[in-house]
Amino acid sequence: MEKYKFIDDLTSDVMFEAYGSDLKELFENSALALFSIICEIKKVGEEKIIDVEVNGDSLEELMVNWLQELIALVDTDELFFSRFEIIEVNENNLKAKIYGEPISPEKAGVVVKGVTYYKLKLEKIKDNYKATISLDI
Amino acid sequence: MKEKIQKINDYEWLLPKTAREGMKVDAKIIANKKILDNIEDDAIQQLTNVACLPGIVEPVIGLPDMHFGYGLPMGAVSAFDSEEGIISAGLCGFDINCGINSIRTNLTVNEVREKLKELVPALFNAIPCGVGSKGKLRLDYNELDDVMTHGVNWAVENGYGTKEDIKKTEENGCMSGADPSKVSDLAKKRGLPQLGTLGAGNHFLEIQKVSDIYDSNYAKKLGIIDEDQVLIMLHCGSRGFGHQIATDYLKIQEKAVKKYNIWLPDRQLACAPVNSKEGQDYYSAMKCAVNYSFTNRLVMTQWIRETFEKVFKKSWEDMDMQTVYGICHNIVKLEKIKGREYYIHRKGATRAFPDMPVLIAGTMGTASYICKGTELALDKTFGSSCHGSGRAMSRHAALKQFRGEKVSDELKEKGIVSKASNWKSFAEEAPGCYKDVEQVVDSVHNAGISLKVVRMKPLGVLKG
Repeated sequence: MEKYKFIDDLTSDVMFEAYGSDLKELFENSALALFSIICEIKKVGEEKIIDVEVNGDSLEELMVNWLQELIALVDTDELFFSRFEIIEVNENNLKAKIYGEPISPEKAGVVVKGVTYYKLKLEKIKDNYKATISLDI
Repeated sequence: MKEKIQKINDYEWLLPKTAREGMKVDAKIIANKKILDNIEDDAIQQLTNVACLPGIVEPVIGLPDMHFGYGLPMGAVSAFDSEEGIISAGLCGFDINCGINSIRTNLTVNEVREKLKELVPALFNAIPCGVGSKGKLRLDYNELDDVMTHGVNWAVENGYGTKEDIKKTEENGCMSGADPSKVSDLAKKRGLPQLGTLGAGNHFLEIQKVSDIYDSNYAKKLGIIDEDQVLIMLHCGSRGFGHQIATDYLKIQEKAVKKYNIWLPDRQLACAPVNSKEGQDYYSAMKCAVNYSFTNRLVMTQWIRETFEKVFKKSWEDMDMQTVYGICHNIVKLEKIKGREYYIHRKGATRAFPDMPVLIAGTMGTASYICKGTELALDKTFGSSCHGSGRAMSRHAALKQFRGEKVSDELKEKGIVSKASNWKSFAEEAPGCYKDVEQVVDSVHNAGISLKVVRMKPLGVLKG
């Protein structure tokens, strides 16, 4: 199954769809889509490991907070991430281990300023999940 | 929505409040017909959304660089009554005090051109560019507090820039009332390592030559006297620090919307009443990001000066590398216009008060402008003008249409030396992704809200 896909919708910003057969995969693939913009994930190693926990009032809120947390970690810890392992996720809480390496100009993409609510949607289609997410660049 | 637009004159268009239910005031677009015809319908719809907010003062303004954005188009101005209105984190956007500094030199185009291949990489080394570069300054929390509350005064006290720079910056480079206690620990943590960094996206550093002078008296006051003179333009914002403050307060204000029972046509327009805690806390935190951003640009200005010193073997003072002006284009400000106070939200819009400089950035392959504000801008646009040429194509579409290497080669053919942190940046920011800056500036000039003073063409470009 395709992990994510970019949609040509926003003039200045970026929109993507991420997919997953369960919530864990959906949150992992959404993070992969985000980091495919921030850095060249295929070239980024996994030697730095960070534990992340986020909360949210709803699944949508949890997704925004998850991606927002990852964006902040790029600045505070000066790391690019390439692998996201969701340990557990429910409607209001997510625990994950994320893997990356120190930022470097050679592997850099673009700064993502924020995760927006524009057309934000998390849906279950048959047995699969789909998230539609827009980023402010 | 476009079919409801009525012509006022060749450069002004009215979208009456009858266009849709819930609009409290009219909206107005400043643009020539060609630009108007190409504005996305969704962006026009966004203007009407803002016209529904409490305490909005007529009219909501769309400028010729406007394009669809987060909640409100980039290139828009909305003014709210200072008692009955709202303050909105959504209407200011993520990059608080994104703005431009223009720096002059007394160097000629020939002197600079022969050194360009040395100068551009030297600047690239001196200024951390892109998401992969680490900042050279590492503030501690006390220093960050000082930057938040003292703005460029901190920079000058620490050897970055001079008192002259302070005078040549909007708000003298420091908005009063900034309160670090209203800023989250996470925002502060993001701000510590990033002062003196350019960022990425549409942020840039450009070496320019003056190509046309339209108002020589005003240009002379800015220290611009010669068509071969070289200027520098720096475009960037408050980095992750400002992004986090925006993110935090979008959430806080989203709750405030429910608390104060505000009806929003779009949840992205999160806001709070002007005199509420959620409104004023945002305003105090936003000012911290505004001051951080002013400081960020001045710190980098000093590094640009030092780099020129190394390359040209002269002191920056001898090269007359003074700030022409520094201005913001993403900001909320309480301003008094013709006796009435408003909370003016400028998102991708520049202050254009009478006889004050207005800086308008083009693309990396096209011209940029220095204009001056007018009385008419006070009457028509709450003392505001456009901020750039405005995007016309999405980043995704740009990556499909342009190749970074080819964009760089095309710039080279035009004699422009360019360097970016990666090829993708060139593709995403290709000149073809933007509106025609000449049409945009003609629109604001002919509408009378800011008048052309100087046109500059790029010689060297650094992209994040």
